[in-house]
Amino acid sequence: MKRPSPPTVRRLIGLALLIAWEAVPRLGLLPELFLPPLSKTLAVLWLDSYIYAAALMVTLYEVAIAMLIACGVGILVGAVVGGVASIRNLMLPVFSSLYAIPIVILYPIFTAWFGIGSESKIAFAGVYGFFPVMLSTAAGIRTIDEQYLLAARSMGATLPQLIARVIIPASIPTVLTGLRLGGALTIIGVVVSEMLTSASGIGYLVTMNRTILDSPRVFAAIIVVLALSVAFDIAVRALERYTMVWQSAGRRMASSSTDTSARLATSASAA
Amino acid sequence: MQHMARVSPGDGQTPRPAVEVRGLGHAYDGRDGVVAALADIDLTVPAGQFTVIVGPSGCGKTSLLMMLAGLRTPTSGTIECDGRPIAKPDPERVGVVFQEASLYPWLTAVENVEFPLLLKHTPRDERRARAEQMLKLVGLDGFGGRYPHELSGGMKQRVSIARGLVQDPPVLLMDEPFAALDEQTRMTMGHELLRIWSETSKTVVFITHSLTEAVYLADEVLVMSARPGRILDRVPIDLPRPRTYQMMATDKFGQLRERIWQQIRDMP
Repeated sequence: MKRPSPPTVRRLIGLALLIAWEAVPRLGLLPELFLPPLSKTLAVLWLDSYIYAAALMVTLYEVAIAMLIACGVGILVGAVVGGVASIRNLMLPVFSSLYAIPIVILYPIFTAWFGIGSESKIAFAGVYGFFPVMLSTAAGIRTIDEQYLLAARSMGATLPQLIARVIIPASIPTVLTGLRLGGALTIIGVVVSEMLTSASGIGYLVTMNRTILDSPRVFAAIIVVLALSVAFDIAVRALERYTMVWQSAGRRMASSSTDTSARLATSASAA
Repeated sequence: MQHMARVSPGDGQTPRPAVEVRGLGHAYDGRDGVVAALADIDLTVPAGQFTVIVGPSGCGKTSLLMMLAGLRTPTSGTIECDGRPIAKPDPERVGVVFQEASLYPWLTAVENVEFPLLLKHTPRDERRARAEQMLKLVGLDGFGGRYPHELSGGMKQRVSIARGLVQDPPVLLMDEPFAALDEQTRMTMGHELLRIWSETSKTVVFITHSLTEAVYLADEVLVMSARPGRILDRVPIDLPRPRTYQMMATDKFGQLRERIWQQIRDMP
């Protein structure tokens, strides 16, 4: 018998988890307070869809602005820190140490400064997501092959041309890695700060429903956050594929080979 | 005399050299004070000549080439190219072909070749036409849409050569362009380069570690000393052209190679 391909196995594991989610509380193995059945959770999500949609809008708005800040400022500062040696030597150790601080400890200060509305979430999540974007942009620019710059200069490139035609395209892969990490941290930052102190958003729904022991509604909110993160990841992957055609050959071959093995697996099981 | 064609009327009796270097020196601040990398380099390359520079590692060959390309400023001396000093990179007078890794991986072959024209804001259609023409010259007709990672090492260097030639500069500088290739590809590329050279009648300054390659390609081989680099010997290579692989087995080829080797082998 042929072994099933990794994607098939992944899908099977996912399916098994969903079945367990439904079966375990139904069979009484866990009280419904700890784990409400999947069907009940989805039913609540459907029933309160208006509430969840409104909360999601608030969260999305905060995430969008925070991401703009984290990515925009992160790329700008990263470009300067990565590109200018004197600033890099001065600032990079500082930024690297700041990155190690659990920034969530500063959230109470953010609420004191910006109140408990969206502003404090945006500010907090923006700072939270800023560091990985900034650090990877700096790394991306610093690690550009010297030969690329030399070749461009020999062809008569001016400094603006060097930046636009060589430095930016050469650092895109590393910067995108940072955006992916920074974007994910921004989502975490918004949800966590909503859970800590707020009156709206998905994070608030989690905390509020937990205090009244309404487990299905807590899990429903968790599903929404999961969906948000997965959607973000898919979007970044699509962006990566779009910007990195030139290095996707290896990946393309890999995916086509898994496709073939998947086809082989299905034809084998059909036979 | 192919270089005579370049001389315009009223220019005088003697053909103008394509590259003229006088009293060139280069020093830089190293860990233990000032290091002299090059000293007293005098160099005249007649238009249309194929000149190869050989020398031990670290003798400043690359440094010299960088200065010829206007990428590095000499500490002393002058460099003239086509009768005018080289103060900064000027791709219309001097094209440069580097070792591997200087093609941009995010551009296709034809976009890489177009790159110098793009920097000059040449209209798109003209750019594309010139680049396609250059790819044809280097034997890569039909490969323009490929990305560098889809090309072999030899093909990548063909693209580099096309890129160096796309602005039709009278002088082409090559810094160990075939060093990263396997022996067989290297031989083929050398032969191809001679074909391209004879079709375009460029002045070529070529740096290499391989003495066989040097003798095979050159009209004249310049032998450089260890640091500080000086020119020790000028070896005219009077083998007939077009060169063939069979010439490598001749006594004459061996004697020329030996003469160069004798001067390099005792250096540190």
